[in-house]
Amino acid sequence: MVSVSILQTQKLHKHFNGVNAVDHLSLRIEKGKVTGIVGPNGSGKTTLVNLLTGMVPSDSGAVLVSEMKLSRIRPYDVRTYGMTRTFQQVRLFQQMSVLDNVLVVLTERGVFLSLFEYHTNFHLRQAKVVLEQVGLWDKRNENAENLSYGQRKLLEIARALAMGSDTMLLDEPFAGLFPSMKKTVAGIVQKLRSEGKTVVLIEHDMEIIKHLSDHLIVLDAGKLLAEGKSHEVLSRKEVIEAYLGE
Amino acid sequence: MDILPQLIANSLIAGSIYAMVALGFNLIFSTAKFFDIGYGALAAVGAYTVFYLAKVHNFPTLVGVIAGVVVAGILGFVIEKFVYKKLRGRKASNTVMLIASLGVFTALQAVIAIFFTSQFQTLPSDLFGRGVFHIGGGVVTSVQIAIFVLALIIMSVLAWFLYKTMFGKAIRAISDDEEVARIVGIDTEKVIGRVFFIGSAIAGLAGILVGFDTGITPTMGFSLLLKGVIAAIVGGVGNVFGGVMGALLLGTVENFGIWYISGEWKDAIAFTLLIIFLIFRPQGIFNRK
Repeated sequence: MVSVSILQTQKLHKHFNGVNAVDHLSLRIEKGKVTGIVGPNGSGKTTLVNLLTGMVPSDSGAVLVSEMKLSRIRPYDVRTYGMTRTFQQVRLFQQMSVLDNVLVVLTERGVFLSLFEYHTNFHLRQAKVVLEQVGLWDKRNENAENLSYGQRKLLEIARALAMGSDTMLLDEPFAGLFPSMKKTVAGIVQKLRSEGKTVVLIEHDMEIIKHLSDHLIVLDAGKLLAEGKSHEVLSRKEVIEAYLGE
Repeated sequence: MDILPQLIANSLIAGSIYAMVALGFNLIFSTAKFFDIGYGALAAVGAYTVFYLAKVHNFPTLVGVIAGVVVAGILGFVIEKFVYKKLRGRKASNTVMLIASLGVFTALQAVIAIFFTSQFQTLPSDLFGRGVFHIGGGVVTSVQIAIFVLALIIMSVLAWFLYKTMFGKAIRAISDDEEVARIVGIDTEKVIGRVFFIGSAIAGLAGILVGFDTGITPTMGFSLLLKGVIAAIVGGVGNVFGGVMGALLLGTVENFGIWYISGEWKDAIAFTLLIIFLIFRPQGIFNRK
């Protein structure tokens, strides 16, 4: 079967203060699969996600979304391209309630009448579904800033789920979570895969990566070091060396 | 103290006007994230639209008021679209934005003075009448009651709008984290444009009400802007309802202050309050940092 790439980079390049964060990187993210991206600190994982979501402009190279070459990605177009993301350092709308953090992404705002648009029971039901999925429905009236770190991470994932995007880029979604929360997030990733969604998973925990990824990409100093099935890739000598610094 | 009811009434009326100005100012600041000085001139634009339509062309005053609010709103929207948005697109610093808005302020004020002269003018008094009421020992005019009631209505509508409508939630999201708001699909530029319309319309209404109460001059926007900004800083810049509390505090301190000292010290009292806050609590009453 021919695999279909939903996201592709072609010689994508970004440098900060003379350091190549992403170095002429070409890779493919396949549709409907969980692709893990690993690499030592500073290997360019988060910069790659920032480039894919238009949060930092690239110096050169291109990003292809569903085979469509994009010269420039604007952050608010990311949703139009069927993508969403979470952040390594959780970024919520802190002053808003848990429920409003989800409700705010649930409607289109294309017309002038949206000035008076009200959330309906339909939106509330959608918000309830995703908040129950992460176990935060009971906290719906709390301000986001009052949640624990783990709960805030879960809320960020719920917000991303509410957007119903086909491609989700999750930047270290398991970091700092209690085991029960990790189980919840792992369950969400598996459910997304079973629904045919594409997940890009940046993670440091190798056990989780082995368990969840269909395909693994290893970055080092902004370059592609290895890719393939996770078990096979993680046993390669160059990958072990990059991690252990041998 | 026989004067107390009058002082409370004066404080509430002054506070209501400052609150309106601070509401619009904070609404714009919380999304566009810069000190929009040009906002002050839109109060004068609203007032002079009423003057032009109702006094020069004898339209019904209510038509003039509605037109004044809409013209101020549209002008604010147009200025955002053709000046501030372009500058944001070029990654202009806040200082550049501030200077640009000072330019807008000066230009608008000059245009009003060219067309209507710098002389003091009054607005027709037929809309709210010239009634004088004795309430709880204080004396207030019908215009002042209208100012208080309209300020309450605007605050309530804005609260409903920000917390209940989807658009209001988008405004709050941008105010919290504009970059993330964009990532989750909110067209921040469009939202900011509409916020300028709403904020400027509020400024226009504030200018019109002050015009009914004390008359108009092309420079009237400056003192209104200063008081609105002081109220916003005292309450917490960008905190929409903090600004209301700041406005009430400012109105109270000013009016009680001039009773104890003298009327000429009104602005000095306002700025003393500002300086105290800037030194001891620059984030204002309601902002945390």
